[in-house]
Amino acid sequence: MSKVLMLAAILLPIIGSIPLFLFKWQNRRAMRVYLEILVCMTSFLVWYLLLKGSAEPFTVVYFTGNLAIELKIDGLSTMFAGLVSVLWPFATLYSFEYMQHEPRERSFFLFYTMTYGVTLGIALSGNLLTMYFFYELLTLVTVPLVMQTLTREAILASRKYMYYSLGGAAFAFIGLIFVIIYGSSMDFVYGGVLELEKIGSRTNLLLLIYVFSFCGFGVKATLWPFDSWLPHASVAPTPVTALLHAVAVVKSGAFAVIRMTYYSYGTDFLRGTWAQDVVMTLTIITIVYGCSRAVKETHLKRRLAYSTVSNLSYILFGASLMTPAGLLGALTHILFHAFMKICSFFCVGAVMSKTGKSYVHEIDGFGKKMPAVFACFTISALALIGVPGMAGFISKWYLASAAVSADNPLAYAGVAALLLSALLTAIYMLTLVVRAYFPGKDFDYAAIERVQDPGVCMWVPLVFFVVVIMIFGLRSQTVIGFLSEIAAGRY
Amino acid sequence: MIFISILIPVFTGLILLLSPEWKNRKLLCAFTTAALLLSVSAVGITLSVTGDKEAVTLFNLTQSLPILFKIDGVGRFFAVLTGAVWVLAAIYSFVYMGHEQKEKCYYGFYLLSYAVLIGLDFSGNLITFYLFYELMSLLTLPLVLHSETKEATMAGLKYLFFSLAGAYMVLFGLFILNRFGNTLTFTAGGVLDLTLIQGKEGLLLAAAFLMLLGFGVKAGMFPLHAWLPTAHPVAPAPASGVLSGIIVKCGILGVVRTVYYLFGVGFLRGTWVQQVWLVLILLTVLLGSMMAYREKVLKKRLAYSTVSQVAYILFGLAMMQPGSFVGAFLHIGAHAFMKCGLFLIAGVIIFKTGRTKVDELAGIGREMPVTMVCYTLLSLSLIGIPPFAGFVSKWYLGMGSVLAEAPVFDVLGPAVLLVSALLTAGYLLPLSIRGFLPGEETAGIKVEKQEPSMLMLVPILILTILITIGGLFPDQIIEFVSRIVGTLFKEVLGG
Repeated sequence: MSKVLMLAAILLPIIGSIPLFLFKWQNRRAMRVYLEILVCMTSFLVWYLLLKGSAEPFTVVYFTGNLAIELKIDGLSTMFAGLVSVLWPFATLYSFEYMQHEPRERSFFLFYTMTYGVTLGIALSGNLLTMYFFYELLTLVTVPLVMQTLTREAILASRKYMYYSLGGAAFAFIGLIFVIIYGSSMDFVYGGVLELEKIGSRTNLLLLIYVFSFCGFGVKATLWPFDSWLPHASVAPTPVTALLHAVAVVKSGAFAVIRMTYYSYGTDFLRGTWAQDVVMTLTIITIVYGCSRAVKETHLKRRLAYSTVSNLSYILFGASLMTPAGLLGALTHILFHAFMKICSFFCVGAVMSKTGKSYVHEIDGFGKKMPAVFACFTISALALIGVPGMAGFISKWYLASAAVSADNPLAYAGVAALLLSALLTAIYMLTLVVRAYFPGKDFDYAAIERVQDPGVCMWVPLVFFVVVIMIFGLRSQTVIGFLSEIAAGRY
Repeated sequence: MIFISILIPVFTGLILLLSPEWKNRKLLCAFTTAALLLSVSAVGITLSVTGDKEAVTLFNLTQSLPILFKIDGVGRFFAVLTGAVWVLAAIYSFVYMGHEQKEKCYYGFYLLSYAVLIGLDFSGNLITFYLFYELMSLLTLPLVLHSETKEATMAGLKYLFFSLAGAYMVLFGLFILNRFGNTLTFTAGGVLDLTLIQGKEGLLLAAAFLMLLGFGVKAGMFPLHAWLPTAHPVAPAPASGVLSGIIVKCGILGVVRTVYYLFGVGFLRGTWVQQVWLVLILLTVLLGSMMAYREKVLKKRLAYSTVSQVAYILFGLAMMQPGSFVGAFLHIGAHAFMKCGLFLIAGVIIFKTGRTKVDELAGIGREMPVTMVCYTLLSLSLIGIPPFAGFVSKWYLGMGSVLAEAPVFDVLGPAVLLVSALLTAGYLLPLSIRGFLPGEETAGIKVEKQEPSMLMLVPILILTILITIGGLFPDQIIEFVSRIVGTLFKEVLGG
């Protein structure tokens, strides 16, 4: 029974969103209620499945040989599916308020909800082929979301996004083929599936292919030098930038990289090779590069987008350490960064939707007028920087201690990059906070008299995320315990 | 008990920050005073009832990272110092802040900073220390930003980013120590696991150096001192007083913890870390004094003087000898009172006359004689003239370093200290001389007496008296510090 439920969880939002397209929905309220119920039901279904524990793999379609579309729940999928299913209902709630002044609301929600199903598909896939299938699908359903406003800028951005993503997937596909040829199966097995006798003397070729597929999936995870689609894609409405471009899409990239590294190629094969050095160097460069660009950027959402670039490479860096501790750091940061970044994006989105301001220098003095939003923003900023007591510190702690105990000279450079990036994060986040709260001696508050906090649909998600950030910062043992089980391959 | 003493200022501070504008100024001041006195007495009680051995774990950040409080001699010393300066500067603020805006905000952050400092003093391990250290940078930022001029905002950001850069250097050391140490709990003599560090000495020394540099940021050590002369003068005078008096000392506290409680003197003495560090410190001593000598704006001059004087303390610590350690601790106390007093006096001058440059202050001694007498006495102490506290501390610093077995530095160090003392006289005394003896051109002008009100004058007087008493009867303090030394230099004193 629960086998079929896995498929049901994926299909529910995809099929459920079709009525949005079929009917006119004169009553906007009814549409919202319908959507929220749909999304919540999916989330409940997902959580039911996850709590029930790992089910048998479920083969949906059987092609030929060992090619099959297969769904399975293991530790990693529990983490990712659990994460998106918590975020989606809140993000949908937030979008109701955000989208009320935007055109083409229906098509937005159509694709927004479909993406939920596809992301769950990635999380629950049981083998490489299935993951690849949903991965391509994810690109296709999210392109319309980037294009949403139909301005020239948006169309160019979505085109760029599509080319980058499809190109990356093509590289990843090469990796997939090699795993099929040289591995025992395509299923995800912790520790890898490669068979050494099949490889023989072609180790270097396989390592090269690994680097290709790392970069290929790394495109979605905005690995330098394939990162430039993300800042452009921030022309999309904020719910898209916040949920998809800080969590669902980009973390699917990171998720795929982790699957590839830990569950297909296997860390024993890769650790200590030149391939590891190459990918680790790329992640270290990205960490510093993303932050530096964020400091330079004056558009609020693009600044946060660059921050995402840098933070995703924290995750990839953790993954590229190729030790259980490194994987633990990566998983922790996937989880914690999701809450921190979505919170800061939603704050910025609230500012943009309520006042139309979108540049750094335009938010002077807003701290007084939008106290709730900026309180949330300050907390998420402090968490992103990594102030102890907030979520960000914990994940960075695990990343850094994994790097230090990896005994790899390059990893020490990584620790230095993490710290440098923390400083740069402080620069690009806290300048905003200081601007908002301390606009200057003769600041004219009358000019921004009409600026005020957003409505209930926006602040409920914000407060929820802030509470989560604080709880994770102070009491993280339960979550970490669970994640370290996953990272050690025991679950 | 420790928690209570931290929580009282946190709560009262938050009440101030979150409450709407207070109509009644008197009530606001009374509330702040009550809150501060309450928390100071809570700290006092904590100090008297809690033994040195007790460690209290608040909760665990992760499995291996407890937030832990412990009170030891060093913590007591700093806590008492902080409390005294904080109360005196607060009394002074009640008048001074009358002509500034957003008083409520100021007092709120003032109380919060106090809470964080107490937490810092009582931290039992490095992670707790780091937590409060970073909070301190963030919470004292509003004090620097207070006037909200363009200059203040830029200075505030500079302060923040320098501090955070320092904090991250410390964090690097923290990661390394977590790997190679037995524990992160402060332990007299160090925590390094000698079997783990075999062959990794280079890495550990680098980590130690980074940590010293990182804490050195707060202590204004060259080459990362640039924020200090920018940030301290733009803050309101009482805030500059506590910044220069206490906050920079938190960098010192960090250094003490790093050298004596984490890496251990035995590991660092005689290494390149100690030598490079000493060179940087001596450069700072000279550089600070010379910059102060050149500077025309009084508050900036005092800020540069802080750079130089705090480097004296660092010098005492860096020699890693019992004698100079005592000197360093005495100078921590003496400098906190002296510099806080001098900044308060600079504030009085600005408050009453609006003049900021040293050149404009000819004849000031006739306008406010009591204040300027205090200024002169404090200056004499800072230069190191008996019978003031500054002399005693410099005596120990000098003697300690002469007795040290560090080639070159045992001679060079005291020489630099003496040159710097001369420069100190050069930048502090002209104000007294021209203040009391303005020369002929102002002879005919009638001077108005404009001595400040009692609330401003009393803290300054108390500070001056404390410095004098400390200089005349330093025995008790020396004995107290010697007890700390006894726990730290067991191997030296025993063998």
